[in-house]
Amino acid sequence: MASMRKVERHQARTAYLFITPTVLLFVVFTIIPVVMALYLSFTNYDVLSRNDWIGLDNYRRLAHDDLLWKTFRNVFLYSLIFVPLNILISLLLGLLLSRAWRGVKLFRTFYYLPTLTSAVAAATVWIWLLHPEFGLINGLLSYVGITGPAWLSETRTAMLSIVLLTLWQSVGSNMIIYLAGLQGVPDYLYESARLDGANKMDCFRYITWPQLRPTTFLVSTMAIIGALQLFDQAFVLTQGGPANVTKTPVYLIYQQGFNQLQMGYASAQAFVLAMAILVFSLINMRISKAEESVI
Amino acid sequence: MKKWLITALTLVTVSGLAAGCGGNSGNSGDANEGKSGTEQGGKSAKKTELTFWGDWGGEGQKQFETMVDAFNKSQDKIHVKYVLQQDMITKFLTAATNGGAPDVLFWDRWRTSLYAPKNVLHPVDDYLTRDGISKDDFYSESLNELSYDNKLYGLPLTVDARALFYNKKLLAEAGLQPPTTWDELEAAAAKLTKWNGDKLEVAGFSMADLGLFNMYLQQAGGTMLTEDGKTNFNNKQGKQVLEFWDRMMNKDKVYKVGFELGLGEGQDAFVTGKVAMLYSGPWMLSTYNKYGKDLEYGVVPPPAGPNGDKGSVMGGFGLVIPEGSKHHDEAWEFIKWWTANKDNALLWAKTSLNLPGFKPSMEDPFFKDDPLWKPFMETLEFAKVRPSHPGYSVMETDALAPNLQLNQQNKLSIEDTLKKSQEQGDQMLKDNEVVK
Repeated sequence: MASMRKVERHQARTAYLFITPTVLLFVVFTIIPVVMALYLSFTNYDVLSRNDWIGLDNYRRLAHDDLLWKTFRNVFLYSLIFVPLNILISLLLGLLLSRAWRGVKLFRTFYYLPTLTSAVAAATVWIWLLHPEFGLINGLLSYVGITGPAWLSETRTAMLSIVLLTLWQSVGSNMIIYLAGLQGVPDYLYESARLDGANKMDCFRYITWPQLRPTTFLVSTMAIIGALQLFDQAFVLTQGGPANVTKTPVYLIYQQGFNQLQMGYASAQAFVLAMAILVFSLINMRISKAEESVI
Repeated sequence: MKKWLITALTLVTVSGLAAGCGGNSGNSGDANEGKSGTEQGGKSAKKTELTFWGDWGGEGQKQFETMVDAFNKSQDKIHVKYVLQQDMITKFLTAATNGGAPDVLFWDRWRTSLYAPKNVLHPVDDYLTRDGISKDDFYSESLNELSYDNKLYGLPLTVDARALFYNKKLLAEAGLQPPTTWDELEAAAAKLTKWNGDKLEVAGFSMADLGLFNMYLQQAGGTMLTEDGKTNFNNKQGKQVLEFWDRMMNKDKVYKVGFELGLGEGQDAFVTGKVAMLYSGPWMLSTYNKYGKDLEYGVVPPPAGPNGDKGSVMGGFGLVIPEGSKHHDEAWEFIKWWTANKDNALLWAKTSLNLPGFKPSMEDPFFKDDPLWKPFMETLEFAKVRPSHPGYSVMETDALAPNLQLNQQNKLSIEDTLKKSQEQGDQMLKDNEVVK
């Protein structure tokens, strides 16, 4: 018995040794900055000359910062379209490409390729595709007699264009996650279902979809977090315009902190964003309510 | 075991932090000095090393280095080294507080009102008096932009302003002269525009940059801010500008929203003749000259408004000395050599194809006799810098521009545009003013 405990202690010690570097990095680069940011959000820190405690002033100012709430509305609207479409498309792709047919690997590669492109490079190309007069998309539309909009410059289509681009960029990696999830569904479930007379629809509804719950939870959570932190695509494509309809909280926080030297206030804004992400992840957890333990 | 763990963690953290700090404080300055020191060999070991930060890479970096080399050769007491900083302002923010500040900083002048109140820039008034440099040799507006609270924080390196570029061929075909008033501009733009069904082929006049509101407002006889730092465009003058834009956009249909977006250098709509006239600055001259044969163009000062008022917005760069530099005097020598000497300012102007901040060097035939430079020099005589309120740029981009865009897309009436811009703009000016 005693020797057993000794072995355990030895193992524990080794384990701590191994996780120390990672934990240290985590503490130095994540925990400390977060705590600092929380502290700074109660000050008028401007990086250069001031760092006084001003209590809740920053948070009071947040309440009537219309622009900040507009950026939140923007990303919520974006998430509302982006997240379900993302899940739907990547699941469909996953289902389609999970079969072993000829050339499937080639298609998997093609669908994954956009993920590898840098957001800025991809956005630059998309500006071209979406050009109102010389772009490919409006060119195609004109063949069927439709005058396409100025996608990126009109308030009603700007956000939609960004949804298109980010979908194109992100379904590839989510498809891979779904592919992995599909591999994990045991075959005997399908076999016994078929014996009971289930058709393909039934199989999907009663076996595949429930079995993929943890995968869907992962994909949707990551999509929501990513959506709330939308920045580079929106920045390159539209610079937040027209009329601020594509401006995002992250962009506003950056501008407030580094361009206007109001790091304290920017920290307060960042905290609101962090809280929003937390709340939405919790809601998502509730909705998907994974039966088995997740992660 | 817990005690053991805590001790170990603490030790590693402390040593990690110490190493991090040590590396930080000593890096840039020492490294540079060491390197240049060996480069110089034993010839003159007592040279003062200056670090000059800028964010111009590529061609711009070569232009800066030309000047730095010329300066280093001109005397044997100071050695300047140009260091390219991609994200210069962000880097300067941390450098200004931890002692790693450079000695000379390439400075977008409008930032002065934001940074000067934080005491990170060194005033140069005393140097100016000591060396007998006359302020009259610079455009007073460009000095104003480098000043805060009656103190001057540097000298202007370049000056620029918007003027009207026009495609000579297209105007000649339509039998038009370059416009000099709003009415002429409107008539010319309407005549130059070509539609093919609902496809715009040639835009008579570019209306892509709503940031030029400031300039039109001046031409209508208005100003962006009042003396006491409030918005000043929800009035007759502001209305005149928006009505003028409305006529051009909706009645004459001289432009289509998003027409020029994403068209870079080679496909630039002005270069390819898809835009007949546009407001731009001298920084585009070198680009347009590259297309010399295919693009014949001319430049005239901005057309005057309904009451004959002229207006344009002056901008440009300067050189400043960070308060954190240890060599204020030597840094000043460098700045003075570059910006307040006729020959050197001219060398800089010719190297970089910029209008220099120093007026006497503009007397040179290089500027005086060039038909493309002349209109800019005429424009600079009446151009005004942007108001020096720390919240001005936020007000312009986040309150005014979005409402102007809504107006341009017919989603907001002229009255509401001005009213909303005023309300939101005043709030932003208040939120971003200097905290005492």
